[in-house]
Amino acid sequence: MSTEPKPTKQERRDAARAARLEAERAEAGAALRRRRLRTLLAVLGAAAVLVVVAIVVSGGNSDKAKSRPGAAQKATGAIPGQKESAAMLAGVPQSDIYLGNPAAPVRVVEFADLQCPFCREYTLQVLPRLVQDYVRSGKVRMEFRSLSFLGDDSVTAARAAAAAAQQDKLWNFVDVFYYNQGEENSGYVTPAFLDRIERAAGVDPVKAKAFAASEASKKPLTAANALADQLRVESTPTILVGKRGGALTPVQADPTDVGAYKAAIDGALGQA
Amino acid sequence: MSDRRLRQVAIVLALIGLGVAAYLTYVHYEGIESVCGLGGDCEKVQTSEWSDLAGVPVALLGLIGYAAILATLFVEREEALIAGALIALVGFGFSAYLTYRELFSIDAICPWCVASAVIMTLLAIVMTARLLRAPTGDRGVVPYVG
Repeated sequence: MSTEPKPTKQERRDAARAARLEAERAEAGAALRRRRLRTLLAVLGAAAVLVVVAIVVSGGNSDKAKSRPGAAQKATGAIPGQKESAAMLAGVPQSDIYLGNPAAPVRVVEFADLQCPFCREYTLQVLPRLVQDYVRSGKVRMEFRSLSFLGDDSVTAARAAAAAAQQDKLWNFVDVFYYNQGEENSGYVTPAFLDRIERAAGVDPVKAKAFAASEASKKPLTAANALADQLRVESTPTILVGKRGGALTPVQADPTDVGAYKAAIDGALGQA
Repeated sequence: MSDRRLRQVAIVLALIGLGVAAYLTYVHYEGIESVCGLGGDCEKVQTSEWSDLAGVPVALLGLIGYAAILATLFVEREEALIAGALIALVGFGFSAYLTYRELFSIDAICPWCVASAVIMTLLAIVMTARLLRAPTGDRGVVPYVG
Protein backbone atom coordinates (compact mmCIF):
# COMPACT_ATOMS: atom_id res chain seq x y z
CA MET A 1 0.00 0.00 0.00
CA SER A 2 1.40 3.33 -0.99
CA THR A 3 2.22 5.80 1.64
CA GLU A 4 2.73 8.63 -0.87
CA PRO A 5 0.26 11.43 -0.46
CA LYS A 6 -2.07 11.90 -3.38
CA PRO A 7 -1.01 14.91 -5.50
CA THR A 8 -3.21 17.87 -5.10
CA LYS A 9 -5.14 19.29 -8.01
CA GLN A 10 -2.65 22.16 -8.24
CA GLU A 11 0.30 19.78 -8.37
CA ARG A 12 -1.34 17.71 -11.11
CA ARG A 13 -1.96 20.84 -13.11
CA ASP A 14 1.65 21.96 -12.70
CA ALA A 15 2.95 18.55 -13.75
CA ALA A 16 0.77 18.53 -16.84
CA ARG A 17 1.93 22.02 -17.70
CA ALA A 18 5.57 21.04 -17.27
CA ALA A 19 5.06 18.00 -19.47
CA ARG A 20 3.35 20.12 -22.12
CA LEU A 21 6.15 22.67 -22.05
CA GLU A 22 8.72 19.90 -22.27
CA ALA A 23 6.92 18.37 -25.26
CA GLU A 24 6.73 21.78 -26.91
CA ARG A 25 10.41 22.33 -26.29
CA ALA A 26 11.28 18.91 -27.72
CA GLU A 27 9.07 19.55 -30.74
CA ALA A 28 10.64 22.96 -31.30
CA GLY A 29 14.10 21.42 -30.97
CA ALA A 30 13.25 18.69 -33.46
CA ALA A 31 11.79 21.26 -35.84
CA LEU A 32 14.97 23.32 -35.58
CA ARG A 33 17.11 20.26 -36.24
CA ARG A 34 15.00 19.42 -39.28
CA ARG A 35 15.29 23.01 -40.50
CA ARG A 36 19.05 22.99 -39.96
CA LEU A 37 19.40 19.74 -41.85
CA ARG A 38 17.38 21.13 -44.74
CA THR A 39 19.58 24.24 -44.68
CA LEU A 40 22.70 22.08 -44.65
CA LEU A 41 21.48 20.07 -47.64
CA ALA A 42 20.74 23.31 -49.50
CA VAL A 43 24.18 24.68 -48.58
CA LEU A 44 25.87 21.45 -49.69
CA GLY A 45 23.96 21.58 -52.97
CA ALA A 46 24.88 25.22 -53.57
CA ALA A 47 28.50 24.53 -52.65
CA ALA A 48 28.64 21.59 -55.07
CA VAL A 49 27.21 23.73 -57.88
CA LEU A 50 29.70 26.54 -57.18
CA VAL A 51 32.65 24.12 -57.06
CA VAL A 52 31.60 22.52 -60.36
CA VAL A 53 31.31 25.98 -61.96
CA ALA A 54 34.76 26.91 -60.62
CA ILE A 55 36.26 23.68 -61.95
CA VAL A 56 34.67 24.17 -65.36
CA VAL A 57 35.97 27.75 -65.53
CA SER A 58 39.41 26.63 -64.36
CA GLY A 59 39.53 23.64 -66.71
CA GLY A 60 38.50 25.87 -69.61
CA ASN A 61 42.10 27.01 -69.94
CA SER A 62 43.44 23.52 -70.34
CA ASP A 63 40.91 22.68 -73.01
CA LYS A 64 41.99 25.72 -74.97
CA ALA A 65 45.63 24.74 -74.56
CA LYS A 66 44.93 21.23 -75.74
CA SER A 67 43.04 22.34 -78.80
CA ARG A 68 45.83 24.64 -79.95
CA PRO A 69 47.36 23.16 -83.05
CA GLY A 70 50.43 21.13 -82.27
CA ALA A 71 50.19 21.53 -78.53
CA ALA A 72 51.57 18.14 -77.73
CA GLN A 73 51.77 18.57 -73.98
CA LYS A 74 49.92 16.14 -71.83
CA ALA A 75 47.22 17.28 -69.49
CA THR A 76 49.73 19.43 -67.66
CA GLY A 77 48.52 22.09 -70.08
CA ALA A 78 50.48 25.29 -70.17
CA ILE A 79 54.20 25.27 -69.63
CA PRO A 80 55.34 27.09 -66.47
CA GLY A 81 55.91 30.74 -67.27
CA GLN A 82 54.01 30.67 -70.54
CA LYS A 83 51.28 33.02 -69.37
CA GLU A 84 53.64 35.27 -67.43
CA SER A 85 56.03 35.67 -70.36
CA ALA A 86 53.23 36.37 -72.78
CA ALA A 87 51.75 38.94 -70.41
CA MET A 88 55.09 40.61 -69.71
CA LEU A 89 55.95 40.96 -73.40
CA ALA A 90 52.51 41.55 -74.89
CA GLY A 91 52.54 44.48 -77.26
CA VAL A 92 56.27 45.23 -76.84
CA PRO A 93 58.01 45.28 -80.23
CA GLN A 94 60.68 42.63 -80.81
CA SER A 95 63.16 42.34 -83.62
CA ASP A 96 66.00 39.83 -83.75
CA ILE A 97 67.79 40.12 -80.38
CA TYR A 98 66.17 43.45 -79.49
CA LEU A 99 63.20 44.32 -77.34
CA GLY A 100 61.48 47.67 -77.35
CA ASN A 101 61.51 50.98 -79.17
CA PRO A 102 64.46 51.21 -81.64
CA ALA A 103 64.62 54.96 -80.98
CA ALA A 104 64.78 54.58 -77.18
CA PRO A 105 67.32 56.95 -75.59
CA VAL A 106 68.87 54.24 -73.43
CA ARG A 107 69.95 50.71 -74.18
CA VAL A 108 70.39 47.80 -71.84
CA VAL A 109 72.57 44.94 -73.03
CA GLU A 110 72.33 41.60 -71.28
CA PHE A 111 74.94 38.88 -71.53
CA ALA A 112 73.55 35.64 -70.22
CA ASP A 113 73.85 31.90 -70.45
CA LEU A 114 70.52 30.10 -70.58
CA GLN A 115 71.88 27.55 -68.12
CA CYS A 116 73.05 30.10 -65.58
CA PRO A 117 70.89 30.16 -62.43
CA PHE A 118 71.65 33.81 -61.58
CA CYS A 119 70.58 34.82 -65.08
CA ARG A 120 67.33 33.07 -64.32
CA GLU A 121 66.96 35.06 -61.10
CA TYR A 122 67.56 38.30 -62.94
CA THR A 123 65.12 37.41 -65.70
CA LEU A 124 62.32 36.30 -63.42
CA GLN A 125 62.69 38.92 -60.73
CA VAL A 126 64.15 42.06 -62.27
CA LEU A 127 63.36 41.98 -65.97
CA PRO A 128 59.54 42.19 -65.66
CA ARG A 129 59.87 45.43 -63.65
CA LEU A 130 62.29 46.95 -66.13
CA VAL A 131 60.08 46.01 -69.07
CA GLN A 132 57.07 47.47 -67.32
CA ASP A 133 58.74 50.69 -66.20
CA TYR A 134 61.12 51.47 -69.04
CA VAL A 135 60.67 49.33 -72.14
CA ARG A 136 56.91 49.73 -72.43
CA SER A 137 57.21 53.48 -72.22
CA GLY A 138 59.80 53.49 -75.01
CA LYS A 139 62.64 54.76 -72.83
CA VAL A 140 64.80 51.66 -73.05
CA ARG A 141 65.68 49.19 -75.74
CA MET A 142 67.02 45.85 -74.56
CA GLU A 143 69.42 43.51 -76.27
CA PHE A 144 70.02 39.87 -75.35
CA ARG A 145 73.37 38.28 -76.07
CA SER A 146 73.58 34.53 -75.59
CA LEU A 147 76.80 33.29 -74.11
CA SER A 148 77.32 29.57 -74.00
CA PHE A 149 80.29 28.77 -71.83
CA LEU A 150 78.70 26.49 -69.26
CA GLY A 151 78.61 23.36 -71.39
CA ASP A 152 76.94 21.50 -74.23
CA ASP A 153 73.45 22.26 -73.03
CA SER A 154 74.32 25.96 -73.15
CA VAL A 155 75.38 25.71 -76.79
CA THR A 156 72.25 23.80 -77.77
CA ALA A 157 70.11 26.30 -75.91
CA ALA A 158 71.90 29.32 -77.40
CA ARG A 159 71.46 28.01 -80.93
CA ALA A 160 67.75 27.47 -80.26
CA ALA A 161 67.64 31.01 -78.90
CA ALA A 162 69.21 32.24 -82.16
CA ALA A 163 66.41 30.45 -84.01
CA ALA A 164 63.82 32.17 -81.80
CA ALA A 165 65.49 35.53 -82.52
CA GLN A 166 65.18 34.82 -86.22
CA GLN A 167 61.42 34.61 -85.63
CA ASP A 168 61.46 37.77 -83.45
CA LYS A 169 60.45 35.71 -80.43
CA LEU A 170 63.78 35.59 -78.61
CA TRP A 171 62.54 37.33 -75.46
CA ASN A 172 59.58 35.01 -75.10
CA PHE A 173 61.83 32.01 -75.64
CA VAL A 174 64.42 33.15 -73.12
CA ASP A 175 61.82 33.95 -70.48
CA VAL A 176 59.96 30.64 -70.81
CA PHE A 177 63.31 28.83 -70.90
CA TYR A 178 64.36 30.35 -67.59
CA TYR A 179 61.05 29.41 -66.01
CA ASN A 180 61.82 25.81 -66.97
CA GLN A 181 65.58 25.82 -66.48
CA GLY A 182 66.92 22.42 -65.42
CA GLU A 183 70.00 21.24 -63.61
CA GLU A 184 73.18 22.52 -65.22
CA ASN A 185 74.60 20.19 -67.88
CA SER A 186 72.28 17.36 -66.96
CA GLY A 187 71.48 16.97 -70.64
CA TYR A 188 68.00 18.37 -70.14
CA VAL A 189 68.12 20.59 -73.22
CA THR A 190 66.72 17.85 -75.44
CA PRO A 191 64.79 18.36 -78.70
CA ALA A 192 61.57 17.52 -76.81
CA PHE A 193 62.38 20.10 -74.11
CA LEU A 194 63.12 22.77 -76.72
CA ASP A 195 59.97 21.86 -78.57
CA ARG A 196 57.90 22.50 -75.46
CA ILE A 197 59.61 25.80 -74.73
CA GLU A 198 59.29 26.95 -78.33
CA ARG A 199 55.60 26.19 -78.50
CA ALA A 200 55.01 27.96 -75.21
CA ALA A 201 56.99 30.96 -76.47
CA GLY A 202 55.07 31.17 -79.73
CA VAL A 203 58.07 30.05 -81.80
CA ASP A 204 57.49 27.80 -84.82
CA PRO A 205 59.36 24.67 -83.64
CA VAL A 206 59.84 23.15 -87.10
CA LYS A 207 61.48 26.26 -88.56
CA ALA A 208 63.42 26.78 -85.33
CA LYS A 209 64.80 23.26 -85.40
CA ALA A 210 65.95 23.65 -88.99
CA PHE A 211 67.63 26.98 -88.27
CA ALA A 212 69.27 25.78 -85.05
CA ALA A 213 70.80 22.87 -86.95
CA SER A 214 72.26 25.19 -89.61
CA GLU A 215 75.62 26.92 -89.50
CA ALA A 216 73.80 30.26 -89.45
CA SER A 217 72.71 29.66 -85.86
CA LYS A 218 76.34 29.72 -84.72
CA LYS A 219 76.93 33.26 -85.93
CA PRO A 220 75.08 35.10 -83.13
CA LEU A 221 77.05 33.01 -80.61
CA THR A 222 80.34 34.00 -82.14
CA ALA A 223 79.25 37.62 -82.33
CA ALA A 224 78.17 37.58 -78.67
CA ASN A 225 81.49 36.07 -77.59
CA ALA A 226 83.40 38.70 -79.52
CA LEU A 227 81.36 41.51 -78.03
CA ALA A 228 81.74 40.02 -74.55
CA ASP A 229 85.52 40.00 -75.00
CA GLN A 230 85.48 43.57 -76.25
CA LEU A 231 83.37 44.74 -73.30
CA ARG A 232 85.34 42.58 -70.84
CA VAL A 233 82.30 40.63 -69.77
CA GLU A 234 83.54 37.93 -67.45
CA SER A 235 80.47 36.53 -65.79
CA THR A 236 76.78 36.08 -66.35
CA PRO A 237 74.49 37.76 -66.08
CA THR A 238 76.26 40.96 -67.01
CA ILE A 239 73.93 43.85 -67.65
CA LEU A 240 75.32 46.96 -69.25
CA VAL A 241 73.52 50.24 -69.49
CA GLY A 242 74.26 53.25 -71.64
CA LYS A 243 72.90 56.02 -73.79
CA ARG A 244 72.03 55.09 -77.35
CA GLY A 245 75.24 55.32 -79.34
CA GLY A 246 77.24 55.95 -76.17
CA ALA A 247 79.49 53.85 -73.95
CA LEU A 248 78.09 50.98 -71.92
CA THR A 249 78.66 50.62 -68.21
CA PRO A 250 78.13 47.31 -66.39
CA VAL A 251 75.70 47.39 -63.47
CA GLN A 252 77.48 46.03 -60.42
CA ALA A 253 74.62 44.52 -58.50
CA ASP A 254 73.06 41.40 -57.17
CA PRO A 255 70.97 39.87 -59.98
CA THR A 256 67.80 40.34 -57.95
CA ASP A 257 68.42 43.94 -56.90
CA VAL A 258 65.77 45.74 -58.94
CA GLY A 259 66.65 49.09 -57.36
CA ALA A 260 70.25 48.98 -58.57
CA TYR A 261 69.23 48.32 -62.17
CA LYS A 262 66.60 51.02 -62.05
CA ALA A 263 69.10 53.47 -60.63
CA ALA A 264 71.55 52.68 -63.43
CA ILE A 265 68.87 53.19 -66.07
CA ASP A 266 67.62 56.38 -64.43
CA GLY A 267 71.19 57.63 -64.41
CA ALA A 268 71.57 56.96 -68.13
CA LEU A 269 68.18 58.55 -68.84
CA GLY A 270 69.33 61.62 -66.94
CA GLN A 271 72.28 62.00 -69.30
CA ALA A 272 70.33 61.12 -72.43
CA MET B 1 32.21 20.75 -28.22
CA SER B 2 30.18 23.85 -27.45
CA ASP B 3 29.35 26.35 -30.15
CA ARG B 4 31.51 28.89 -28.39
CA ARG B 5 34.49 26.57 -28.63
CA LEU B 6 33.74 25.70 -32.27
CA ARG B 7 33.64 29.40 -33.07
CA GLN B 8 36.99 29.96 -31.37
CA VAL B 9 38.53 27.07 -33.32
CA ALA B 10 37.09 28.48 -36.56
CA ILE B 11 38.54 31.93 -35.83
CA VAL B 12 42.00 30.45 -35.25
CA LEU B 13 41.80 28.34 -38.42
CA ALA B 14 40.55 31.26 -40.51
CA LEU B 15 43.37 33.46 -39.23
CA ILE B 16 46.00 30.85 -40.09
CA GLY B 17 44.38 30.36 -43.51
CA LEU B 18 44.35 34.10 -44.02
CA GLY B 19 48.08 34.23 -43.30
CA VAL B 20 48.89 31.42 -45.73
CA ALA B 21 46.70 32.88 -48.48
CA ALA B 22 48.12 36.37 -47.91
CA TYR B 23 51.64 35.01 -48.30
CA LEU B 24 50.74 33.13 -51.50
CA THR B 25 49.00 36.20 -52.90
CA TYR B 26 52.04 38.33 -52.10
CA VAL B 27 54.32 35.81 -53.80
CA HIS B 28 52.05 35.75 -56.83
CA TYR B 29 51.96 39.49 -57.33
CA GLU B 30 55.61 40.09 -56.51
CA GLY B 31 56.60 37.35 -58.94
CA ILE B 32 59.06 35.96 -56.41
CA GLU B 33 59.61 32.37 -55.41
CA SER B 34 58.01 31.25 -52.20
CA VAL B 35 59.93 29.56 -49.43
CA CYS B 36 59.17 26.04 -50.48
CA GLY B 37 60.31 23.32 -48.10
CA LEU B 38 59.61 19.60 -47.91
CA GLY B 39 60.84 18.93 -51.43
CA GLY B 40 57.92 20.79 -52.99
CA ASP B 41 57.96 22.77 -56.19
CA CYS B 42 55.89 25.83 -55.38
CA GLU B 43 56.83 27.76 -58.44
CA LYS B 44 55.71 25.02 -60.79
CA VAL B 45 52.36 24.91 -59.00
CA GLN B 46 51.96 28.65 -58.66
CA THR B 47 52.74 29.34 -62.28
CA SER B 48 50.64 26.48 -63.61
CA GLU B 49 47.49 27.09 -65.59
CA TRP B 50 45.45 26.21 -62.52
CA SER B 51 46.97 29.04 -60.50
CA ASP B 52 44.17 31.36 -61.45
CA LEU B 53 40.46 31.23 -62.02
CA ALA B 54 39.23 33.39 -64.87
CA GLY B 55 42.24 35.63 -64.41
CA VAL B 56 41.95 35.89 -60.63
CA PRO B 57 44.82 34.17 -58.80
CA VAL B 58 43.50 31.29 -56.67
CA ALA B 59 45.69 32.60 -53.84
CA LEU B 60 43.68 35.83 -53.88
CA LEU B 61 40.42 33.86 -54.00
CA GLY B 62 41.61 31.96 -50.92
CA LEU B 63 42.48 35.21 -49.18
CA ILE B 64 39.01 36.59 -49.87
CA GLY B 65 37.43 33.30 -48.78
CA TYR B 66 39.25 33.19 -45.43
CA ALA B 67 38.47 36.86 -44.80
CA ALA B 68 34.79 36.27 -45.57
CA ILE B 69 34.64 33.22 -43.27
CA LEU B 70 36.30 35.24 -40.54
CA ALA B 71 33.77 38.04 -41.02
CA THR B 72 30.82 35.63 -40.70
CA LEU B 73 32.21 34.44 -37.37
CA PHE B 74 31.60 37.87 -35.91
CA VAL B 75 27.99 38.15 -37.01
CA GLU B 76 25.45 36.46 -34.76
CA ARG B 77 22.84 35.64 -37.34
CA GLU B 78 21.60 32.47 -38.93
CA GLU B 79 22.50 33.89 -42.37
CA ALA B 80 26.10 34.30 -41.25
CA LEU B 81 26.23 30.65 -40.17
CA ILE B 82 24.89 29.60 -43.55
CA ALA B 83 27.21 31.91 -45.50
CA GLY B 84 30.24 30.79 -43.48
CA ALA B 85 29.49 27.11 -44.05
CA LEU B 86 28.82 27.70 -47.74
CA ILE B 87 32.11 29.52 -48.29
CA ALA B 88 34.06 26.90 -46.33
CA LEU B 89 32.44 24.04 -48.26
CA VAL B 90 33.09 25.70 -51.62
CA GLY B 91 36.66 26.35 -50.48
CA PHE B 92 37.02 22.73 -49.45
CA GLY B 93 35.67 21.43 -52.77
CA PHE B 94 37.86 23.69 -54.88
CA SER B 95 40.94 23.00 -52.71
CA ALA B 96 40.35 19.28 -53.17
CA TYR B 97 40.21 19.79 -56.92
CA LEU B 98 43.42 21.86 -56.91
CA THR B 99 45.22 19.28 -54.79
CA TYR B 100 44.12 16.63 -57.27
CA ARG B 101 45.60 18.77 -60.08
CA GLU B 102 48.85 19.19 -58.13
CA LEU B 103 49.18 15.44 -57.71
CA PHE B 104 48.02 14.20 -61.08
CA SER B 105 48.42 17.02 -63.60
CA ILE B 106 51.18 19.34 -62.44
CA ASP B 107 53.18 16.54 -60.80
CA ALA B 108 54.37 18.92 -58.13
CA ILE B 109 53.30 19.76 -54.62
CA CYS B 110 53.28 23.18 -53.06
CA PRO B 111 53.32 22.74 -49.26
CA TRP B 112 51.66 26.13 -48.75
CA CYS B 113 48.79 25.13 -50.99
CA VAL B 114 48.41 21.80 -49.21
CA ALA B 115 48.44 23.63 -45.86
CA SER B 116 45.66 25.87 -47.10
CA ALA B 117 43.69 22.84 -48.34
CA VAL B 118 44.00 21.18 -44.93
CA ILE B 119 42.91 24.36 -43.11
CA MET B 120 39.96 24.79 -45.46
CA THR B 121 38.95 21.14 -44.86
CA LEU B 122 39.01 21.65 -41.09
CA LEU B 123 37.07 24.89 -41.49
CA ALA B 124 34.44 23.13 -43.60
CA ILE B 125 33.99 20.55 -40.82
CA VAL B 126 33.82 23.15 -38.05
CA MET B 127 31.52 25.50 -39.96
CA THR B 128 29.18 22.64 -40.88
CA ALA B 129 29.08 21.50 -37.26
CA ARG B 130 28.20 25.03 -36.22
CA LEU B 131 25.45 25.25 -38.80
CA LEU B 132 23.90 22.10 -37.37
CA ARG B 133 24.42 22.81 -33.71
CA ALA B 134 24.70 26.51 -33.02
CA PRO B 135 21.95 28.29 -31.12
CA THR B 136 19.96 30.48 -33.44
CA GLY B 137 20.49 34.18 -33.67
CA ASP B 138 16.91 34.77 -32.52
CA ARG B 139 17.91 34.27 -28.93
CA GLY B 140 15.11 33.13 -26.62
CA VAL B 141 12.55 32.29 -29.28
CA VAL B 142 13.87 28.86 -30.10
CA PRO B 143 15.58 26.83 -27.39
CA TYR B 144 19.20 25.80 -27.60
CA VAL B 145 19.74 22.51 -29.37
CA GLY B 146 23.00 21.12 -28.22
